[in-house]
Amino acid sequence: MITVERLTKRYGPFTAVDDVSFEVKPGLVTGFLGPNGAGKSTAMRVMAGLTPATSGTATVLGRPYGHLPNPGRHVGVLLDASAQHAGRTGREVLTLGAILMGVDRRRVDEMIELVGLTDKEASRRVRNYSLGMRQRLGIAHALLGDPEVLILDEPANGLDPAGIRWMRDLLRGYANEGGTVLLSSHLLNEIERVADEIIVIGHGRIVAQGTKEELLAGAGTIVRSTDDERLLAALAADSVVATRAATGGLQVEAEPLTVGRIAAAHDIVLYELRGGDSRGLEEMFLELTAGAAREAVAA
Amino acid sequence: MSTTTTSYAAGPAGVSKHAESPLPTTATVPSRIPGERPRTGVTFARLVHVELRKMLDTRAGRWLVIGIGAVIATALVILFFNNGGQHSFEDYLQATTMPQAIILPVVGILAVTSEWSQRTGLVTFGLEPRRGRVAWAKLVAALLVGVGALVLSFVLAVVAHQAAITFRGIEGDWSIAGLTLLGASLYVLLGLAQGVGFGMLFKNTPAAVVVYFVLPTAWSILGSLVSWVGDVGRWLDLNRTMQPLFEGSLTTEQWARLGTSVGLWVVLPLAVGIWRLTRAEVK
Repeated sequence: MITVERLTKRYGPFTAVDDVSFEVKPGLVTGFLGPNGAGKSTAMRVMAGLTPATSGTATVLGRPYGHLPNPGRHVGVLLDASAQHAGRTGREVLTLGAILMGVDRRRVDEMIELVGLTDKEASRRVRNYSLGMRQRLGIAHALLGDPEVLILDEPANGLDPAGIRWMRDLLRGYANEGGTVLLSSHLLNEIERVADEIIVIGHGRIVAQGTKEELLAGAGTIVRSTDDERLLAALAADSVVATRAATGGLQVEAEPLTVGRIAAAHDIVLYELRGGDSRGLEEMFLELTAGAAREAVAA
Repeated sequence: MSTTTTSYAAGPAGVSKHAESPLPTTATVPSRIPGERPRTGVTFARLVHVELRKMLDTRAGRWLVIGIGAVIATALVILFFNNGGQHSFEDYLQATTMPQAIILPVVGILAVTSEWSQRTGLVTFGLEPRRGRVAWAKLVAALLVGVGALVLSFVLAVVAHQAAITFRGIEGDWSIAGLTLLGASLYVLLGLAQGVGFGMLFKNTPAAVVVYFVLPTAWSILGSLVSWVGDVGRWLDLNRTMQPLFEGSLTTEQWARLGTSVGLWVVLPLAVGIWRLTRAEVK
């Protein structure tokens, strides 16, 4: 369980995280989605007690991170897979963690096996690891202390499609056993495949949050016609809210059937008409983050 | 998992451009650690253990130790053959201690700055958010390295001196002033503590190393040129205030001078460094 309330982080005149509130619930995988520089990493560093908040609070398991006793045994954190000493071996990195957390050293071998590193790879220095291997080492480190909560920043970066699928299965299984998972990504596709709940952030502000289904439903209908101008007017005449989508066509807040009927009544030719599927969510993601960008510029 | 998963997972990983092992075909949820999750924090002993290990488990740390060993060995060999090995135990002890006093502070500096330059601070301060404790653990670990090095240099000096007596037939001179021993120990340990302090103050390896080595020299040069700097230096120049320790006796004023310079160069950087460390943002 992670609770973030009215969290703000400013760097001089720049606001990295702007009045953000959300909850990450146990038993679910929550995706933290936003373009690069949206404030995801800053928010996660505040949650892990590494960056002081300007105002607002973040608590993990009911306490500020800094008040957790032996936090590695409660919260598994992976903020940057590359943030490891290049001159240490993978096994040594995990061994240091095991000593600090006070867990059995056998757990180190278990975790190495879990992420599929061979003995030989574990004995190599991190300098010689690919990004994918660093991610696997980072995930092994996050799981080392058998935590209840996982905070993972861009963990799928550097993993191939099979790796992303592996991670989805791992996090799903972990959440099914009651674990709390927050993972961030700048790729909608990744989040969509892994997460149950999605929090979308753009320019430091939350622009949407809810279950994946809710967000998909909210995407309404995407329609393309030979005369979008006339369709827009026809929809407005029937008090149906519609906007021009960032990717062309119209984004309509109604069922496809309603939109089709209105178009037919006005003899408008449609060449695309579909409900809020994944592409709808993608358009929403682009739209919402672009909207946040415009607001930020205006402000 | 079904066989479709197996074939799917094996495919792309098998053609991965990195020569790395594929992920397991099925993801297993890690086993639970039996018992309740701890309600007590990380013990200070575990923190010191980890910090001590971190100083020696990297290539840089290991080479520093090997380098010190090589310098000591060279110094002893020179003493052993120079002038028929006719030197006092104190000379041998100086030969084994001096290289450490010069190089070990770098171990202290690296112990802190690598958390920033290698960005391991994200993990270190994530596992122990009470950063002041990490800072103290680093200082204690650095001092333990110093004590270990001192014991080793004492043993090596004894062995070398005895070897010179036995094999080169010199007349042994085991006499050593208590203050000299204290001086040598302080020289090594204060250097390490100063290194840790400078590391925390600058959070940057090159800056800390350069300032650590250049500042005393610059001070001495300036002191010989400008008289008032030289006067102040009698109280603040660590190299000068420590000198009496090796000469056998200290007056009350000399102790006061030593204390003042230690306060400025060791205690103050540590205090300000720890204060900075507990407030800095870890990225």
